[in-house]
Amino acid sequence: MATSTNSSNSSQPYKPYRHLKTLTAHNLAVSCVKFSNDGTLLASGSLDKTLIIWSSATLSLLHRLTGHSEGISDIAWSSDSHYVCSASDDRTLRIWDANTGDCVKILRGHTHIVFCVNFNPQSNYIVSGSFDETVRVWEVKTGKCIHVIKAHDMPVTSVHFNRDGSLIVSGSHDGSCKIWDTNAGALLKTLIDDKLPAVSFARFSPNGKFILVATLNNTLKLWNYATGKFLKIYSGHENKVYCVTSTFSVTNGRYIVSGSEDRCVYLWDLQMRNLIQKLEGHTDTVIAVSCHPRENKIASAGLDGDRTVRIWVQDS
Amino acid sequence: MSSNELMALNEGFPEVIEEFLEHEPTMKCVAFNRRGTLLAAGCNDGSCVIWDFETRGIAKELRDDECSSPITSVCWSRSGNRILVSAVDRSLTLWDVMSGTRTTRIFLLQTPLQVSFCPSSSNSSLCLVCPVSCTPMIVDLNNGNTTLLKISVLEKSNGLNHAASRNKGPGGTPFTPAAACFNKHGNLIYLGNSKGKILVIDGKDGEVRAMVHVSDSVVKNVVFSRNGQYLLTNSYERIIRIYENLLPLKDEIKALDELDENQKDLHGIEKLNVVGSKCLTLIRGFKDSVTKVHWKVPCFSRDGEWVVGGSASKYEHKIYIWNREGSLVRILEGPNETLLDLAWHPVRPIIVSVSVTGVVYIWAKHYTEYWSALSPDFTDIDVNEDLVEEEDEFDLNPRTKVKISDVDEDEEVDIMKVEKDTTFSDSDMSQEELCYLPTIPIPDPPEPQVPEQQVPEPIIQEQQVQEPQDKILEFSSNLVDNNKSDSPLSEIAKPNIDDAEGTRCKRMRKPSQKMLELQEQKAKKTSKVKKKPLAEETSDDADAGAEGTQIKRGQKPSKKDKGKEPQV
Repeated sequence: MATSTNSSNSSQPYKPYRHLKTLTAHNLAVSCVKFSNDGTLLASGSLDKTLIIWSSATLSLLHRLTGHSEGISDIAWSSDSHYVCSASDDRTLRIWDANTGDCVKILRGHTHIVFCVNFNPQSNYIVSGSFDETVRVWEVKTGKCIHVIKAHDMPVTSVHFNRDGSLIVSGSHDGSCKIWDTNAGALLKTLIDDKLPAVSFARFSPNGKFILVATLNNTLKLWNYATGKFLKIYSGHENKVYCVTSTFSVTNGRYIVSGSEDRCVYLWDLQMRNLIQKLEGHTDTVIAVSCHPRENKIASAGLDGDRTVRIWVQDS
Repeated sequence: MSSNELMALNEGFPEVIEEFLEHEPTMKCVAFNRRGTLLAAGCNDGSCVIWDFETRGIAKELRDDECSSPITSVCWSRSGNRILVSAVDRSLTLWDVMSGTRTTRIFLLQTPLQVSFCPSSSNSSLCLVCPVSCTPMIVDLNNGNTTLLKISVLEKSNGLNHAASRNKGPGGTPFTPAAACFNKHGNLIYLGNSKGKILVIDGKDGEVRAMVHVSDSVVKNVVFSRNGQYLLTNSYERIIRIYENLLPLKDEIKALDELDENQKDLHGIEKLNVVGSKCLTLIRGFKDSVTKVHWKVPCFSRDGEWVVGGSASKYEHKIYIWNREGSLVRILEGPNETLLDLAWHPVRPIIVSVSVTGVVYIWAKHYTEYWSALSPDFTDIDVNEDLVEEEDEFDLNPRTKVKISDVDEDEEVDIMKVEKDTTFSDSDMSQEELCYLPTIPIPDPPEPQVPEQQVPEPIIQEQQVQEPQDKILEFSSNLVDNNKSDSPLSEIAKPNIDDAEGTRCKRMRKPSQKMLELQEQKAKKTSKVKKKPLAEETSDDADAGAEGTQIKRGQKPSKKDKGKEPQV
C-alpha cells in the first residue's frame, strides 16, 4: 500500500463494496453475525433460538445449532475457530463445537437475559454481560464462573477483551463505559460516566490502545483510553434505539464499519471521518456487522423486517 | 492515568498468599515458562504437571510408566516448546509440551540435581547438569554425550579424572556438589565450587577463562538475573552475594580475549584472578544477622530489582525479599512447612513457593482499590488540595460546562501498531513460541430427556433407564442450584477441581469495608429495580436516547420475566 500523509488509505481510488449474496435461513430477526478468526466460517445468531454456521467461502449452510429455549442476542468465536459461544434470553450461555454442531457446555449463573459475550484471545476465558447488570467471567475448561462483577446500574450492552486478555471493556445503558482488570475483576477506569446517552456498544481496537464506543445519540467515538479523551467522531448514521454493533475494517485501508437503523451499512474513513459508502439492501435495521479477517468481505444482519444475512465484497 | 495504573499492576513485590495449588502426587519443584503463562511442576512420582497459571487449572500432564522416581528439577526451553526434567533415578527426560510426548531419555551416572537448557539457539540440544556427586557437565541431548567441566584450576582436564573425582574432590575431601549456570546468551558458564570460587568457563571448549573469589566456604547456588546484568551467589557461610556482571552481554568471549591480551605478562591463577576481577564486581551481601539462617533457592525478581532468598531451616516457610540497595523489605511467612523451591513470576509481582507437603503457594500483592477509577474526572493526588469553588457553584442554573475536546481530530490514529513488549528482550527464536496450551472445555453431562408418552418398555429395561436419568437429574440440578458445585465430570483434573473449589474462595479478593457497604446498597437498589417492569424503569429518562425499552436486539423482554424473583 502506498504510504500516506493524512489518510492511511492509499491514493488509489476507493473500490466500493457490492452486494454478493443474501443468506435467508432464519425465521425471526437475526441478532448477530461474526466471522471466525481464521475466516473459514461465519456464524449468525437469531431470535428464532438457533445459531447457523455458514461456510465463508461457499456461503452454504453447514450447521443449524438448536438448544436454546429463547432467542440469541450475541455470539463469539474462540481464537482457534473451533468453538462458538452464544448468549441467550434463556439466561444461559452455550459453548458449541463448530465442527460437529454439538453443544459442549452450558454456562449458568446469570439471573436475567444474557446480552453480550466474548472469548479472550487465549480462549481460556469467556466474558458475558447481562440484563442483570453484572459482567461475568467464566473459565472455558470447567464452565465455572470466576468473577461476578456488579458492573453497572442498568443492562450491560457490550463486553470485549483487549489484545492480551488482561482488560475487559464494558458498556451499559446507564451511560457508562468501564474498564476492568481480568485477573482481579477490579475496576481500573471509568471512561464515560454520563447518564446519557446510553452506551450501546464498546470494543477495543486491534492493538488494544483505543476503544470504539457507540452511543444512542447517533454517534460513534474512538477513545484513547489511556488519556481518557476521544479522538474521532463518526456520525451520519441512525442509532437511537438498538444496540447496533460496529467494527474496524483493516484488510484494505482503515475504516469504521457500522450498522444503522436506517437499514444501511455505513463505512467511514478512520482518519478523516468522512462517510465513504452506504451499503443499501436490507429491509430493516442493520443490527450487526462483521469484517472478514483477511478478505475484503463484510457480513451484515437485519432485524425482523429483514431476517437475512447479507454478504458484501470489494472487487479486487 | 490508566497506563500508569496498568504498569503499577506489574510492579512491587508480593505480600500475601493468594492461593495454593494442590496435586496428587505431591509436587517438588517448579518452573515458569518464559512468559509466565504456564507453570511446570515436577512431582514425586516422576511425572510433570503443567498448570495454566491464569486459570490455575491443570493444562497438561507429562508422564510415562518408565520413570517413577521423584523429579529433582524442571526447566523450560526458551520457546516453551520443550521441558527438560531430571529425576532421582539418574534420568534426564526431554518432553514435547504440545503433544505431551517424550522426545528423549538419557541416563547419567549420577543423580542430577539441577538442569538448565543452554540459552543460545544454536546449541539448543545442549544442557547443563549439576549432579549430586560429580562435577557439573554439559550433556548433548541428541546423542547423550557428556562433557565434564572443570571445578578447580588445579585439576588437569582429562577423562581419567572422572573416576577419581567421583567421590572425592581435589585433596581427597568428600565431594560437595558444585553449582553452575549459563550466562544470558549461553556462551559462558559460571561455576561455583567448594573452595568458594567462581570459575568463568568458555562454553565451547571448557577452558577456564577467569576466576573470582567469593568467600572461603562452599558456593551452593549461582544464579543470573534475567537481563544477565547481575549474578547471585549463595555460600555455605549464610551470605547471599550480588555481583554486577562487567562483561558485555554480547561478544563476551571477545571481551575476555581482550582482557587476556592485556594481561599477557601474567600466568596461571594470577592471570585468572585479574581477569576475574574485570568480569564480576561485588555489590553487597545479604544475610540475616539475627537468626543466621542458611539460605536456599536465591533468585531475582523479574527485572532484577529485588533479591529473594528462601530460608533453608526446617519447618519454616520464610521468604526474604531485599532491594538491591541492601534493605530487607519483606519477610513472607508461610505455614510451618519446609520450603523446597521458589520462583518469581517473569512478569507480575508473584512468587510461587513449594513446601515439603507438596503444596504450591502463590504469593501476590494485596488487592488495592483504585478510587480514581470510579469516574473519569477522579484523579489520585498525593497531597491534600483545598477546593476552590467555581463562581457558579451554587447558582440555580450554572453555566453549562461544555467539554471541549482539545484534541486535533485530524491527527492520524494508528489502530494496528503494537508496541514491542520491552519486558522480553529481542529473541532469536527459531521456533514459534508456545505461550498457551489450547483450552478444551470439559463436556457437560447429557441433559435429561423429556419423558415421551410411549408404551412403557419391559420393566427391567425401564429400571436401567431410570437410574442414569436420576443421576443425570441430580447433576443438572446441581448445576442449576449452585454455581460452585463440584463438576461431576472432571476426568484428569478431578483432584484439582476440588481444590480449585476451595481455593476459589481464596482467589476472590476481599473487598474493603467501604466497598462491601457500597455493594450492599447496590444490591438493595438492584433488587428493588428488578421487580419493576422494565418499561417503568426507563420512564424517568426524559431525553431521547434512553427511550429504549427496545434495548434488546429487536425484541422487547417478555412480560413473564418481569414478575420473576431474582435468583441469588
